[in-house]
Amino acid sequence: MTLRLRASLTRRDFQLSIDITLPLEGVSALFGPSGSGKTTLLRIIAGLERTRDAQVYFGDQCWQHGRVFVPLHRRRIGLVFQEHSLLPHLSVHGNLAYGYNRTPTAERRLHLPEVAEMLGLTELLARPVDQLSGGERQRVSLGRALLISPQLLLLDEPLSALDTASRREIMPFLARMAEQSSVPIIMVSHAPDEVTRLADRVAFIRAGTIERIESLRATLSRPDSPLFEDNGATSLLEGELGPVNRHGLRPLGLPAAQLWVYSDEPVGKRLRLRVLARDVSLALALPQQISIQNQLAVTIATITRLDEQRCLVACHMADGQLLLSEVTPWSAERLGLQPGLKLYALVKSVALLL
Amino acid sequence: MFELGPQDWQAITVTLRLCLYTTVILLFIATPLAWWLSSGRSPGRVALQAVVALPLVLPPTVLGFYLLIVLGPRGPVGEALEAIGLNHLAFSFGGILVGSVLYSLPFAVQPLHQAFSNLGRRPVEVASSLGAGALDRFFTVTLPLTRGGFVVAATLTFAHTLGEFGVILMLGGSIPGETRVLSVLIYDHTEAMNYDGAHRLSLLLLLFSFFTLFIVYTFSRRAEIARI
Amino acid sequence: MTGRRARIAELANQPIYCLACPGNYQNPPVPVMIYRPTAVSARLLAILLLSVFACTARANSLTIAAASDLRFALEEIVTAWREQNPDQDVRVVYGSSGKMSTQISNGAPYDLFFSADISYPQQLQAQGFTATDPVPYATGRIVLWSSILDASALTLADLTGSDIEHIAIAQPAHAPYGLRAQEALQAAGIWEQVQSRLVFAENIAQAAQMAESGAATVGIIALSLAEFPRLAQHPYHLIPASKHQPLRQAYVVTRRADNNAAALSFARFMTTDIARAVMARYGFAPPGEPTL
Repeated sequence: MTLRLRASLTRRDFQLSIDITLPLEGVSALFGPSGSGKTTLLRIIAGLERTRDAQVYFGDQCWQHGRVFVPLHRRRIGLVFQEHSLLPHLSVHGNLAYGYNRTPTAERRLHLPEVAEMLGLTELLARPVDQLSGGERQRVSLGRALLISPQLLLLDEPLSALDTASRREIMPFLARMAEQSSVPIIMVSHAPDEVTRLADRVAFIRAGTIERIESLRATLSRPDSPLFEDNGATSLLEGELGPVNRHGLRPLGLPAAQLWVYSDEPVGKRLRLRVLARDVSLALALPQQISIQNQLAVTIATITRLDEQRCLVACHMADGQLLLSEVTPWSAERLGLQPGLKLYALVKSVALLL
Repeated sequence: MFELGPQDWQAITVTLRLCLYTTVILLFIATPLAWWLSSGRSPGRVALQAVVALPLVLPPTVLGFYLLIVLGPRGPVGEALEAIGLNHLAFSFGGILVGSVLYSLPFAVQPLHQAFSNLGRRPVEVASSLGAGALDRFFTVTLPLTRGGFVVAATLTFAHTLGEFGVILMLGGSIPGETRVLSVLIYDHTEAMNYDGAHRLSLLLLLFSFFTLFIVYTFSRRAEIARI
Repeated sequence: MTGRRARIAELANQPIYCLACPGNYQNPPVPVMIYRPTAVSARLLAILLLSVFACTARANSLTIAAASDLRFALEEIVTAWREQNPDQDVRVVYGSSGKMSTQISNGAPYDLFFSADISYPQQLQAQGFTATDPVPYATGRIVLWSSILDASALTLADLTGSDIEHIAIAQPAHAPYGLRAQEALQAAGIWEQVQSRLVFAENIAQAAQMAESGAATVGIIALSLAEFPRLAQHPYHLIPASKHQPLRQAYVVTRRADNNAAALSFARFMTTDIARAVMARYGFAPPGEPTL
C-alpha cells in the first residue's frame, strides 16, 4: 500500500512542491532541517492544510482530489503533535477515551486498558493532564492516537519538545508501538537519532521538495548521508539480546556475528545498535592480546574514497548486515583491501539505541 | 421609597427582553464570525474586523440614521418585509433589536475573538483527528475551553445593550411597551421633571452595571489564571 | 520488514495489535466537503427573529404621538377617557411636533397625532399619511418662566440684561414653540443680541426642564407647562400673542388608524366638556373657527 501525494503551495517566504509515492509499511521518516516543509507536508496529508489542487490518495482511498476533500475526522489518522496537544479540560482517561468513543465499535482494534498498560498509563488515568510530566503527556498523546484504531499514524516531531530523560523514557514506547501496532507511521523529524532509532525508510526534504526516499540501511551506508551530522558514516545493526555472562556482558545477534553489550532489556528482545565507522578498525588476522572485545569476521563489499585522509569500507557481516569502517588510504593500501577480501573488524564502541 | 410604577416595569420588561434577545442572537452571530476572524487567512479578514469594530467609534446617531433609512417603510429591508406580509422595522421592537445587535456586535465578537485566538487551532485539530465533526468539536472542545470568553461576551453584550440610548431613540422612538427601554424612560422622566422616577431607574441601572462588570472582571481574571 | 515483525511477534510476550491490516477497512465515504457550522444557528436565529416580528402586532391599543406642550394636560385627558373606555390600552409618546411628524412619515405606529402647530399635520396630509383632515383643538401661548428670577417682573427686553446667563428655548427647526419664541425675540428686536445666551432644547418640555432645574436662567416655554403644579410655584410673564404667529394646534388621525374606532373615539373626546375643561386649566384657548 502506498500514499500518493501531489501538492504545491506558495507562501510568502516558502514554496512547497511535492510529488511522491511513499510505501506505507513500517515507519517512514520525513527528515529535513526546520523550515524545509516537513510539517506542512504532514498537515497536507492530514487535511489540515487546505491547499487547492493537492492530491492525496491513501491506498485506494481518495482523500483529496479536485472537489473531493475528506475532512480529517473521517480520515482515521492518529496524530501526535510536538507538545501541548492534550485537551486540558479532560483527564488522562477523558483524553484517551475521546477518540475511542468516536470510533465505530466494529473498527475498534485496541481498547483502553491494553493501551494504558502498554504505555504505562494505568496509574495515571484519573489525573488531570496538567499534572503530568512532559514524557507522560506524550505517552497519553500516543495512546490517544492509537485508540482511534487509525489506518495511519502521523507523528510531528513527537520527541523534540522533551528533555533527554523524557526522550529516553518515551523512545522505547514509540519503538514498541511501531513494531507491534502494524499501523503505518509517518514521522516528521530533524533529529538523526530519532530517525536512526525508529525509521525503516527516510524521505529527505529540503526547501520544499523531496530529495530522495530510501531505506534507512541504504541511507546509513551512504557516506554523504544528511543523517550523519558530525559523526561521519554510521552502521546500524540489529539483533536479539542473549543472556548475561559472568562479566555482566550480553551477546547481541547471531553467534557468528555477535557483539557484546551491556543492557537491562529482557532476553530475546530485538535491539538496534549504532556503530560509528571511525570506531571500527580492520585486521587481516584475528588479533590476540588486544583489549577490544567485539571482533567480527567480515567480507569487504565496497571501498569508497571519501577524501584525502579517509576511505569508507563497507563490509558484510556473517548475518548479512552491513558494517562500515573508516580507514586511511595508506592503511587500505598497506592491507591490500579490495572487495571480496575476508578479514576481521574490531569494534571499539557501540551505542545501543533505546 | 423604591417603588416602581407600571411604566417603569413595562420599560424594565422591554429592556430585559431586548438585552436577552440581543445577547442570544449575537452569540449565534458572533461565534462563527469570531472563529473566522481568529483563524482565516483571507484578506477579507481585516476589513471584516474593521466593520465589526465600527460601532465602537461611530456615533450611535449615524447607525440610527442609516438603520431608520434601511429598515423603514421606504427602505430596502422595510419594503422587502412588507412585501412578504410582515411589518417594516422602524419604531418597532424588531427594529431596535436589529439596531442593538449591530451596535453591540463588537462587544460580543471581541471577547470571543480573543478567546479563540488564545485557544489556537491545536485543540480543534486534535479533536478532528480523534474523529470529532465540526459541531461535536465545538461543543466538546471549543466551548468548554473558551467558556470564560462566552461569559464575558454575553455579559458585555447584555450590559452594553442595557446602556444603549442613541440608536434606540432614533430608530425606535419611545413607544411604551415596544421601544421605550430604561435609558429612554429615564430621559423621558427627566423631560417630564419626574426626578424621583429618573433617580430610581438610574440607581437601578448603576447597580446593575456595576454588578455586570464585576462578573466580567471575575471571569476574565479566572480565564487569565487558567491560562497561567 | 514484515519478516522482522513476524519474528518479533513470535518472541515478544506482549500481545500483538493488528490495527491496519489493509483491506480490513472499508473506504470511508468520500463526500464533497460541505462545512457549515452556521446552518443550525441560522435556523435558530430565524425562529427567534420571527417571534420578534410577531410581537409587534398588538390589539386593542391606541398609540398617540403628542407635542410636548401637552405632556401634562393630555395625561389628565387620557385618564378621563380611560374611565369611559377601561378596555383600551393607551400609549402616549411625547416629542417635538416636527420629530413626531418625521417619525410618522417614516412609518412610526402612531394612531393619532396631536401637533403644536397645524402646519405639520397639513404636510402629513399632503404626503398621504393621514386618514382625516387636521382638526384644530386649541391655541397655545408662550411665556417667560424662571425658577431663579421673578419672571412676572420680566419682559422680553429684559433678556439682554446682565443677570440673564442662559435662555432656554425649543429648537425652532422642528418645535413650533421654539419657532414662536424666535419670532417673539425677533419682534422684540433682541434676537441677534441674545444669540450667545440661547440654549436649544429638543422640545418644549425639555426647555421647561432646563429652566426648572436652574440650568437656564429663564425659559421661553409653553403656558400649558408653566401651569403644571410643579412649575406653577413660580410666576410667569405671558408674552403678548401679537409678538408671534398664533400657535394653532391641531390633531390628525393617521392613515394606519383609518378604521381604528378607538382613535376616532378619542378624537371626539377632545371636544367634550371634560377635555375642554382640562385644556382650559392648562391655559389653552379654544380653537378659532376651523379653517379647514
